[in-house]
Amino acid sequence: MNDVDDQLRELLPRMRRFAVSLTRDHSSADDLVQSSLEKALSAWDSKRPDGDLRAWLFSILYRQFLDAHRRSRRYSRMLELFTGGKEDHYEPSVERTVVAQTTLQAFERLNTEQRALLLWVSVEGLSYNEVAAILDVPVGTVMSRLSRARQALRLLSEGEITTPALRILK
Amino acid sequence: MITLPPSERDLHAYVDGQLNDADQQTMETYLAANPDLAKQVLAWQLDVQNLRAGLSGDLHRPLNPELDPAFIRQRLRRSRSRQFATAAVLLIAVGVGGLSGWQAREMTLVSGVPAMADAVQAYRMFAVNDNMASDWNTGKPNNAQVWLDKNFAQANRLPDLESAGFKPVSGRLTSTEQGAAAMVVYKDAQGRTLSFYIRPPGDRNHLLPRGTRRDGELQADYWSGAGYNYAVVGPADDPAAQAARQALKQPI
Repeated sequence: MNDVDDQLRELLPRMRRFAVSLTRDHSSADDLVQSSLEKALSAWDSKRPDGDLRAWLFSILYRQFLDAHRRSRRYSRMLELFTGGKEDHYEPSVERTVVAQTTLQAFERLNTEQRALLLWVSVEGLSYNEVAAILDVPVGTVMSRLSRARQALRLLSEGEITTPALRILK
Repeated sequence: MITLPPSERDLHAYVDGQLNDADQQTMETYLAANPDLAKQVLAWQLDVQNLRAGLSGDLHRPLNPELDPAFIRQRLRRSRSRQFATAAVLLIAVGVGGLSGWQAREMTLVSGVPAMADAVQAYRMFAVNDNMASDWNTGKPNNAQVWLDKNFAQANRLPDLESAGFKPVSGRLTSTEQGAAAMVVYKDAQGRTLSFYIRPPGDRNHLLPRGTRRDGELQADYWSGAGYNYAVVGPADDPAAQAARQALKQPI
């Protein structure tokens, strides 16, 4: 039991970072991590695959985020009907360490899946196979989506396009 | 084994360090000879580095004790015991409900609701009311039996009370706790009224022995057959109605 908790504790910073990259907000990121951990602990005995624990946790977290996001999008669409407002405005976090501001800003403007892909592969170093398992798509699909994400990141960093990539690449 | 010139996928695999050593070597040699492509790859590599650096700060956020696995476990246990508590309360509620339901049934059987009380009630509400809206009447193309058969499969035949002067004049469908019911109203030349009432026996298949009971000024004759309960209701002391009841006793 404690061994499991230690493994989880060790991966906690990575889960939180991934969650922030998805939610772009620290407190909702921690909510997301919390619900993902609950899910992981409840499913530990029955569902946990033999492979990389990190990939499994990312996959739980990613699904939780998509579910919540879908729900909140429905909600904000409804809100939009009444207020005429626009959804999905965000301010890049000022708390973030400013090392590569341009790249980070570009990263923030990628769509959810592209952010997840780049974080998994480029930052966390997951293998294409692990990512394919998380997204439940063939490895070839992972590679072509990754290629598009990387190009979008490049273009956004160079400031060549200003509209969010998700509008173009969807 | 990659082929040259490298595909875009191979280039990305190179950037991600997912090529094997030999392919890695091949790629490096190729890129050294192709500076334009090397520039592109380098840009991607820089993006990777920038991302790693830019996102590394997020790894060092202050600890949040609410995310500690031990704390989460505790929360899970608490919510589970809440669920158990809720389930237990539900079970008790169902148990109490079931017991009182059973008791209510016993009471019904022993003392409570008299047999085919709904038939008597329907007679009081509808049969003696000439303005009653009807689902079937003598103006319809089909006779009462055809109408009834459409709604109640394989029911007993309508009693033939013509020898006592009573003929079907209207019919009405109603709903009861036991299911859909129908009442066919008979009248004689003097406007005296009898009703024939049919409904399912209900969930507990409560079938009735043939019987008669008096309810105020009315008399109900009831029986069961072919999956339904039946009643004929009419004025208790009226001689014409008594004659009709005699006709009822003939095999239908």
